[in-house]
Amino acid sequence: MEELRFAGLDAVIILSAYAVLMIVIGWLAGRGKKVGKSVSSYYLAGRDLGIITLFFTLFATQYSGNTVVGYAPQAYREGFSWLQSVPFFTLIIGIYLLFAPRLYAIAKKKKFVTPTDWISYRFNSKRVTILAILLMLWGLANYLLEQLVAIGHAVSGLTGGTIPYEIAVIGFIIVMLTYEWLGGMKAVAITDAVQGSLLFVGVILLLAGAFALTGGGLTDLTENIAAVDPERIGVPDLTTNINWISMILLTGFGAAVYPHAVQRIYSSRSERTLKRSLARMAWMPPFTAGFVLIIGIIGIQLYPGLSVPESEQLVGILANDVANLNTFFYWAMIILFGAIVGAIVSTADSVLLSFSSMISNDVYGKYINKSAPDERKVKVGKFVGVILVALLLWVAWNPPGTLFQIFVLKFEILVQVAPAFILGLYWKRLSSTAVFWGMLVGATIAGVMTLIGHETAFGIHGGVYGLAVNFMICVAGSLMVPTSQDYKRKVEKMTTIDAQQ
Amino acid sequence: MKEPVKKPWIWIIMGLLVLFNAPWYFPEGTIEPLIFGLPYWVVVSTVLSLLLCAYLYWLCRNQWHIIEDEEEAENEREGD
Repeated sequence: MEELRFAGLDAVIILSAYAVLMIVIGWLAGRGKKVGKSVSSYYLAGRDLGIITLFFTLFATQYSGNTVVGYAPQAYREGFSWLQSVPFFTLIIGIYLLFAPRLYAIAKKKKFVTPTDWISYRFNSKRVTILAILLMLWGLANYLLEQLVAIGHAVSGLTGGTIPYEIAVIGFIIVMLTYEWLGGMKAVAITDAVQGSLLFVGVILLLAGAFALTGGGLTDLTENIAAVDPERIGVPDLTTNINWISMILLTGFGAAVYPHAVQRIYSSRSERTLKRSLARMAWMPPFTAGFVLIIGIIGIQLYPGLSVPESEQLVGILANDVANLNTFFYWAMIILFGAIVGAIVSTADSVLLSFSSMISNDVYGKYINKSAPDERKVKVGKFVGVILVALLLWVAWNPPGTLFQIFVLKFEILVQVAPAFILGLYWKRLSSTAVFWGMLVGATIAGVMTLIGHETAFGIHGGVYGLAVNFMICVAGSLMVPTSQDYKRKVEKMTTIDAQQ
Repeated sequence: MKEPVKKPWIWIIMGLLVLFNAPWYFPEGTIEPLIFGLPYWVVVSTVLSLLLCAYLYWLCRNQWHIIEDEEEAENEREGD
C-alpha cells in the first residue's frame, strides 16, 4: 500500500475529519455517565448494548482492515480455494452456539467482566486462571501489534507518504486512546458501528470498481484465468482441502473465544439482543470475505504474474486504477481507504479495551489489590494499556527477529482456552488439573510448531493439533482423576441456569 | 427451554456442512462444467457456504431460548 499515490491532501483531510468524528463520538458516549467509576460501565457499556450496536461492534471486531488488505492478495495467490474464508468466518457463529447461550445466562447472574472471571469461577484454581490470563493477554498483545503496524502502513500508503508511518501510528493511537478513555466500551461500540458501516460500503465500492476495470462478467473472468492460470481455479489438491477444513476449525474456535468477543457476549442487553445480533452476523461472511475473494480473483486477470511481495500491494494497485476511472471512483477509493483505516482502528480499540480490562480486573483486582475500588482498577487498566502500546511500538519499530517470530502466534495460542469454556460449561467431571495441563501442552505444541517453521503439518495447523491434544488431555485427565460427588454437585450448582442461586 | 448444545442433530448437520465445504470429493484440477460462469466446484462450495449461513441464522433465531422470557418479563415490569 505504500505505493499508493492518488490521494495526498484529500486523504489527509478525510482522515483528520474521521479522527475528529471518533473523538466527538467518544465524548458523547461518555458524557455525564461517569464511565470510569465502574468496571462494568467502562468495559461492558453497563451491559446494555442493543441489537444494532452489538451487531456492528461484533462485525467491526471480527473483520479488520486485514480482511480487505490481506485477504485479497491471498485470494490472488490461492485462487478460488480461498473460498474457505467465507465458511471460516461463518463457523465462528456456530462455535458461539456451543457456549454463548449458557455463558451469557451465567455471566449475567454472576456479573462477569472478563473471560477469566468465568475461568476462575468455574475452576477455582490460581494456576489455571494465571495460565489463561497469560495466554489471552499474549494473544491480545500480538493482535494489537498487528493492528498498529497495519495502521501505519495503511495511513502512510493512503496519503502517499504525506503522513509518515511513525506519525500515523502515534496519531491514531492518540485518537483511539482519547475516545476509548472518554467513553469506554460504549464509545468503542458506537465508533465500531461507524467504522463497520464504512468498511461494508468501501468493499462494495472496490468490487464495483474492479468489475468496471475488467469490463466483463464472471464467465469472461473464469475463461481468461483458465487460459493463463488453470491451477488457481481447478479443484485444489488434497493438502489444500485438508488445510481448508483446518482453517475453518482454527478460526471458528479461535475467534469465538477471543477475549474481546467473549466480552461482547457479556455486554449484550438481553438474550434476545444477543441471539438476533449473532443471527445477522451469520450472513456477513459472503458480503465481506466473499466480495474480497472476488476482488482478489479479478486481480488475477488484471495483474497476472505478480510476485508474492508485489501481490501484497494488490489492493493499493487496484484502488489506484479504480480511482483513475472517474471522479466518483476517486472519492469512492478515498472513502475505501478511510474505511480500511477505520476497520483497523475498530479492531485495535476492542483489543486494547479487553487487554486493559483483564489487567484491571484479573491481574490487579484479583492478585495485586483485591480491595481496590472500581475507579482505581479502571485507572490501572488505562495506564498499563498505554505502557503496552508503547512496548508494542518499540517492537514494531525495532523487531528483534526471534521476538517477532514469537509474536506470530495468535490464534494458535488463544484457541487453547476453548476447552475451559466449552467443556467447563457442561461437563461436571472436568478437573482443573486436566484443564491446566491441556492448555499448557496445547499452547506448547502450537508454539513449537510455529517457531520451528512448521505452522502446518499435512495441511493441519499447529493450533488445531494443540487443541485436539488439549481436548484429549482434558477428557482423559478428568476421567483418570477420581471426582467426589461433592465436587460434581458444586459444579452442577455453578453451571446450572435453572436453579435460583 | 432451547439450548443448542443439547441437540446432537444440530452438530451433525453443522459438521457435515463444514466437512463437505472443501471440495475434496471432486477430481483434482477439474474446472468444467462452468455454472453461471464459475467452475462447478466453486458453485457447490458457495451453495454449501450459504447453507451454513442460513442454517446458523435459523439456529440462532429458533433453537436458542434460555432466559429470554424471564428477561422480557423483567423488562416489562421495569417499563411499568
